[in-house]
Amino acid sequence: MADLIQLLTNGLALGSVYALAAIGFVIVYSATGVVNFAAGQFVMLGTFAGVATLVNAGWPLPVGYAGALALMALFGLLFYAVVYLPLGRSPVVTIIIGTVAIGITLQNAALLTFGSWPFRLPSPVEGMMLEVAGAVIPVHAVAVVVATAVLIGLMWLLLNRTALGIAMRAVAQDAKTARLMGLRVNALLAFTWVLAAVLAGIAGLMLGPMWFADVNMGDPIALKAFAATIIGGFGSLPGAIAGGLFVGLAEVLGASYVSSAYKDLIAFGAMILFLLLRPQGVFGERIQDRG
Amino acid sequence: MRSVLVLSALILAGFALSFAVSEYTLRLLNMAVIAAVAVIGLNFAFGYAGLISLGHSAFVGLGAYGLAILTTKADWSPWLAAIPAVAGTGLAAAALGYPLLRLKGHYLALATLGLNVSFSIVASNWIELTGGTNGIAQIPGLTLAGYKLDGEQTFLWFGLAVLALLGLAALAIHASRLGRAMMAVRDDETAAAMTGIDVTGVSVTAFVLSAIYAAIAGCLFAAHVHFVSPDDFNYAHSITFLSMLIVGGEGSVAGAIVGAALLTFLPEWLRVLGEGYLAFFGLMMLAILVFLPTGIAGLLRRWRRPALPPQDTAAGLDGAVSR
Amino acid sequence: MIAATQNALSATGITKRFGGLVALADVDLTVGNGEFVALIGPNGAGKSTLLNVLTGLSAPTAGRIALDGRDVTRLPTHRRIRAGLGRTFQHGRLFPRLSVVENIMTGAANRAGRGEAGLRAHALAQLRRMGLERLADQPISALSYGNRRMVELTRVLACEPRVLLLDEPAAGLNLGEVEDLMARLRAIRAEDRIAVVLIEHNMGMVMRLAERVVVLNFGRKIAEGTPAEVQADPAVLAAYLGEGAAHAGR
Repeated sequence: MADLIQLLTNGLALGSVYALAAIGFVIVYSATGVVNFAAGQFVMLGTFAGVATLVNAGWPLPVGYAGALALMALFGLLFYAVVYLPLGRSPVVTIIIGTVAIGITLQNAALLTFGSWPFRLPSPVEGMMLEVAGAVIPVHAVAVVVATAVLIGLMWLLLNRTALGIAMRAVAQDAKTARLMGLRVNALLAFTWVLAAVLAGIAGLMLGPMWFADVNMGDPIALKAFAATIIGGFGSLPGAIAGGLFVGLAEVLGASYVSSAYKDLIAFGAMILFLLLRPQGVFGERIQDRG
Repeated sequence: MRSVLVLSALILAGFALSFAVSEYTLRLLNMAVIAAVAVIGLNFAFGYAGLISLGHSAFVGLGAYGLAILTTKADWSPWLAAIPAVAGTGLAAAALGYPLLRLKGHYLALATLGLNVSFSIVASNWIELTGGTNGIAQIPGLTLAGYKLDGEQTFLWFGLAVLALLGLAALAIHASRLGRAMMAVRDDETAAAMTGIDVTGVSVTAFVLSAIYAAIAGCLFAAHVHFVSPDDFNYAHSITFLSMLIVGGEGSVAGAIVGAALLTFLPEWLRVLGEGYLAFFGLMMLAILVFLPTGIAGLLRRWRRPALPPQDTAAGLDGAVSR
Repeated sequence: MIAATQNALSATGITKRFGGLVALADVDLTVGNGEFVALIGPNGAGKSTLLNVLTGLSAPTAGRIALDGRDVTRLPTHRRIRAGLGRTFQHGRLFPRLSVVENIMTGAANRAGRGEAGLRAHALAQLRRMGLERLADQPISALSYGNRRMVELTRVLACEPRVLLLDEPAAGLNLGEVEDLMARLRAIRAEDRIAVVLIEHNMGMVMRLAERVVVLNFGRKIAEGTPAEVQADPAVLAAYLGEGAAHAGR
């Protein structure tokens, strides 16, 4: 029982990170039609933005977090200008390859800047443990789940209750009409990229203390985010959350109860099964193929 | 006819180079030839039939592991082992293709990506069969009429001969009713069905052909390097194969070869830039995609036939995108 | 009209629902051997839906379709084409990566047994018959809109259909091209005895070509008869007047 509680907490924490990565992927896809294969590198950069401000520059926690997220916002803007604007209207294959290529550049740039040694990112609740029904669980894991829940709530408010969010959804549904309605479509698209980068940044900052920060961490995260997106339903925000939590739990529980070697096969097997049997995922309404 | 000439010129250029370059460059040329075989295969699936596969490397791996296992565990000759390795890969592609190819666009891309990742997980963990992450070593090389094909130069000659044969076969298929049917399916599935083309059948055939070429490339790889491990066939290689096809120019056999050669050598040439060469490589790829969206073959086509009148209907616009 | 012992095409009780929306309600359509039937009706009457059901692009909720007496209701599209059905699209859908003659060859490939040279010869013969042989090696992108539609018609004729479904073949053509199209259709029928189902808003064309007219409105068949009978039918008039001046310009 104690084991199970521990595993569930860790699984939910990891799943929260995947969910945030998947949400970033989904809002970009819905708004711009771009299948962003660099999504995992976004999370990696988030972790290393934290390494830069908290470890290398030694800033205090709140300032360091704010600085890291500001860097991520800038990065989102840069990505919009350098990758999205020239490539956004290309066929889906070109976009896949282009975002992979830029992902290679990002990974290599991080390697040059930070070296190949793994870093340990501090947590605000470093070393604190919580005892629940005989199980000792790290407070960080609980904080990650809570913070993700709060973020998802804020996202919901943004998209449904603010003029900015409603304008974003209008652009996602029909950019041409939105332009005719006088919305500043380009600014909204740029904001979408910034939002995706900041969400990935938060995911990276939360993941940093759970894993060792390593410049090669992006690819596995991207693969898990893709699996989460497919399982939950391509383009659906609730789907990204449910899918992310499922993938995180499957990874942690699978490693413990099935086989640590084959733990990832659960998520990818589920992804392929969903694609074949229910390609719209759990929450998707229907396939909207932009390919 | 022109494509046969271009193919012959490329093969002859490779042959001429084999007398002029260092052992290291010969090794890269061998890698380029093996990649070219795989990319010509991918051209059936993507270039002709429009199926985005990010799992091509898994089929290369199936071929390579098939040959490696049969030669090292069952002591088969590599020539004999290649037959079931290639045929088995083709069967696997057919079995996977029927359910999988109902998916399109990025759904198919992500499904095949998942397949490639699953292949890597199995190859890394089914230790009794695959040796796990240690891989399989001491795969025997090829012997042809008493000659050992173990030097880089001799292997390159053999590889070029295989590439020439498979390239010619691909050109013949391109010009056949199957080739036309594949391109019709990519251009417009509904209209293709309306001319009596079995869309699913043609798509699966293209997928199986692409897997067969991939498996042959895998057998060449195993026989050349004498060693296979899961890392040689992870999904990153699938993306590389697709990049080679796009950079060379999808839909063209010569483009597939040029793309394979270019992306094999480009990272090596960029090494002079020092540690950050992969960062430049990514940026260069992005620049190629933005400025040469139809690849090198497309650029040459435009030079040769500059004055195509603009297309004036919605159907024409779709065509321009898929071109 | 000559009474045929067996209809080239017979669709009975065709119903198609999309969720709660009824696009076709219990529609019957029979076409005799070599007969020329026009299918008319206001926009949204279900004409294109009926073509999609007949060709297998969408499955009917209920009903049965037979070609030459053979039930094809459950056959996929390409098998229906091989069984003798042919169709053109509203805006002409060609394969832009193939040349004109290669486009025709995809259609000709249905009749097995022709080698590559035979296919080409057959395709060129079809082009010659349509007066388009000079376009044979052109890329599709070099064709005018009118020529694209004629090439599409040639491609479907190369499949040697027994029943040809034409979805607004005259839309977007100029007056001269429409006259040319009508002459070709007459010639094709005289030579090949192909049964034709024509969807067309150009009433002049319908009245001059069709032996029988079927009128759909809101997914139901509201009238059927000779062009003269249908023109005089008050239900048909009401259906078209209800739509206002939408077709006045055609």
